[in-house]
Amino acid sequence: MPDGVGIELAEQFSSARQQKETGELGMWVFLLTELMLFSTLFVSALILRMLHPGAVTAAALHLKMWIGGLNTAVLITSSFFMSLAIELSRAGRTSPMRLCMVVTAGLGVLFLCLKGYEYYRDYAEHMTPFFAWRPYGLLGDPASRLFVDLYYVITSLHAVHLTIGIGLVMTMQHLARAPGFLSRHANRIAITGLYWHFIDLIWIIVYPTLYVLNR
Amino acid sequence: MSELVLRDAPPPVATIGRPETYLNDGQTIRSWLFTTDHKRIGVLYLISITFFFIIGAIAAGLIRLALVVPDGSILTNDIYNKLFTLHGVIMVWFFLVPSIPNVLGNFLLPIMIGAKDVAFPRLNLLSWYIFMGAAVFELFVLIAGGVDTGWTFYTPLSTIYSNSWVIPAVLGVIVVGFSSILTGVNFITTVHTMRAPGMTWFRMPLFVWSMYATSLILVLATPVLTMAMVLLFYERAFGIGVFDPGAGGDPVMFQHLFWFYSHPVVYVMVLPGMGVMSELVTAFAYKRVFGYTFIAYSSMAIAAIGFFVWGHHMFFNGISEYSGMSFSLLSFAVAVPSAIKVYNWAATIHKGEIRLATPMLYAMGWIALFVVGGITGLFLASLGIDAHVHDTYFVVAHFHYIMVGATVLAFLGGIHYWWPKITGKMYPEFWGRVSALFMFVGFNMTFAPQFVLGYLGMPRRYHTYPPQFQFLNILSSAGATVLAAAYLFPLAYLLWSIRYGRDAPPNPWDARGLEWTIPSPPPPHNFEEVPVVDFEPYDYPNRIPEA
Ligand SMILES: [Cu+2]
Repeated sequence: MPDGVGIELAEQFSSARQQKETGELGMWVFLLTELMLFSTLFVSALILRMLHPGAVTAAALHLKMWIGGLNTAVLITSSFFMSLAIELSRAGRTSPMRLCMVVTAGLGVLFLCLKGYEYYRDYAEHMTPFFAWRPYGLLGDPASRLFVDLYYVITSLHAVHLTIGIGLVMTMQHLARAPGFLSRHANRIAITGLYWHFIDLIWIIVYPTLYVLNR
Repeated sequence: MSELVLRDAPPPVATIGRPETYLNDGQTIRSWLFTTDHKRIGVLYLISITFFFIIGAIAAGLIRLALVVPDGSILTNDIYNKLFTLHGVIMVWFFLVPSIPNVLGNFLLPIMIGAKDVAFPRLNLLSWYIFMGAAVFELFVLIAGGVDTGWTFYTPLSTIYSNSWVIPAVLGVIVVGFSSILTGVNFITTVHTMRAPGMTWFRMPLFVWSMYATSLILVLATPVLTMAMVLLFYERAFGIGVFDPGAGGDPVMFQHLFWFYSHPVVYVMVLPGMGVMSELVTAFAYKRVFGYTFIAYSSMAIAAIGFFVWGHHMFFNGISEYSGMSFSLLSFAVAVPSAIKVYNWAATIHKGEIRLATPMLYAMGWIALFVVGGITGLFLASLGIDAHVHDTYFVVAHFHYIMVGATVLAFLGGIHYWWPKITGKMYPEFWGRVSALFMFVGFNMTFAPQFVLGYLGMPRRYHTYPPQFQFLNILSSAGATVLAAAYLFPLAYLLWSIRYGRDAPPNPWDARGLEWTIPSPPPPHNFEEVPVVDFEPYDYPNRIPEA
């Protein structure tokens, strides 16, 4: 490791290497849990499609595929900048690293804005079956309502994760202002990055499961 | 140390003062509530789950009281339903799941692998706070008037028909899941990265192996329950009908998701008990464990196969004949690693220098009850027999033999075995043996009649029954009072021993393992210096006793 990059040893560890491995493994195991959490929803959506193919396709045609696709590109780009930030953190270059993290978080915000716009369009097209007071656009098979509801459940859970991710990345780059941050907590950037890549990965599963597969 | 004392000549009182232990390292309430010491967190859990055990046990006592008469005149239907739901929810999520992992696991896992603490001490404390936060929801439900869906929260009863406090109860279950997940993440990471030099995977005590397998289940299965409960919550609160056939959903899917968690979670309750058993049996047979690698791998096999048997809860709830057959076959398969363990313990005890101290009595009781519970499990895994006894008291008796017989006995056996280590005090041996005996007798008296009742056709969860079943029900309720005594004895004498018990030596049982090499109670950071492990696990002398 270059000068100025290192880890301040916490009480329970006996070496910096042990501490680094522990932190990363802990995050990986946690992400395994998160994957199972989302998988439950993916399986529910796929089973719904098997039970009611017609209604699900009718509803899925109302999803804005171009926004979903654009958002996929936005998140993949953000992951690229996050990877860059991790590499820079390993080289001990604080300021470009912070810049990359701000760009990462900024792309995350862009994703949320696009998602918000998509929700707005959905609302305008009467695709909000969970609002009892607002008429629903697709009559006929009630299963289409269920699919649209599941779409909101899945994408909002992802948005919550993304918001946490943006908070985490911004907090880290803010903490990294302090002189010598990388000499004490270099591993935190990589761990934050793991979480960010995971959110990206989840979207990469969400997009085909909801938007592409059901057309 | 002594040289230093001589040279600096401190006042003599200081040198004969009490040694620093995790218990007297700060004695304010604050020092406990903000501790990150895994041993103190274990004790916090011990206190909390004892409290919930008492609530759950009172509910069980009232259920047994109501069933003394066949006409249901003691309690109303409504209260009866709420009592068995409360009993199930509290006992499963607030006692059984956290019992051995969060109390004994927290206390022992780092010590057993020679670590100063778990991998993430603050996360460990957070897990306890989340647990207590979840408890607030359930206590609210208890005070506000209860919930009547059964611990399984089956739809559409829980989403459409029930008029009780389903939402707060479900939220409590969601929240308590995060506590399990954090513990699981912590333990898996700890086992991977915190082992002392020389502590290879196959030198780890078998208790650690069982904790590792348990944690894998917690991490992989709990989020599925979380999501199932979230969807249930959405359905009840906002009408998003994933489980509602009227809306295009499927109620059987809830059962799939629920049992995808709730069958593996049976192994979250049993695997730690098996881990405790391996420790007790070797220590009190004073012998090397028979087939170490088999026991270690069988824990992993149980965890793995346990994920593919959930359908045996749904043989008659709308799954196809072929998936029924597959689930039946897989359920038989999961019995194999369990049996391997039992045979290995039997072989360990064989020709050992057996000491029938209290923990060993619990261990012997454990084997007897687990064998009965396990074999009746095979009855239930057979499609034909299950058609007859499904949803009867046979099932109730079966899973109580596993959950109470295997988990609670192992928990109590473990608590007795490690009590000197945890508190630094010895409990009165005579009363320990008496309560172990009461436990065995009371347990069998309570639940053995229920096998017969179930086979004769008494359905579970009913509040009234035909008068010809009254004798067996009274027998069962009488057994429950013996069982209650068996719980109250340890509660009394263990508390008594904290104040009046004799001081425990570091290794009162002459047992092997790192936890017995350090003082009782342990110092705040467990080891004076990082231990180097150059011995095999359970290196008992293996003497052949004289005939
Ligand atoms: Cu099962």
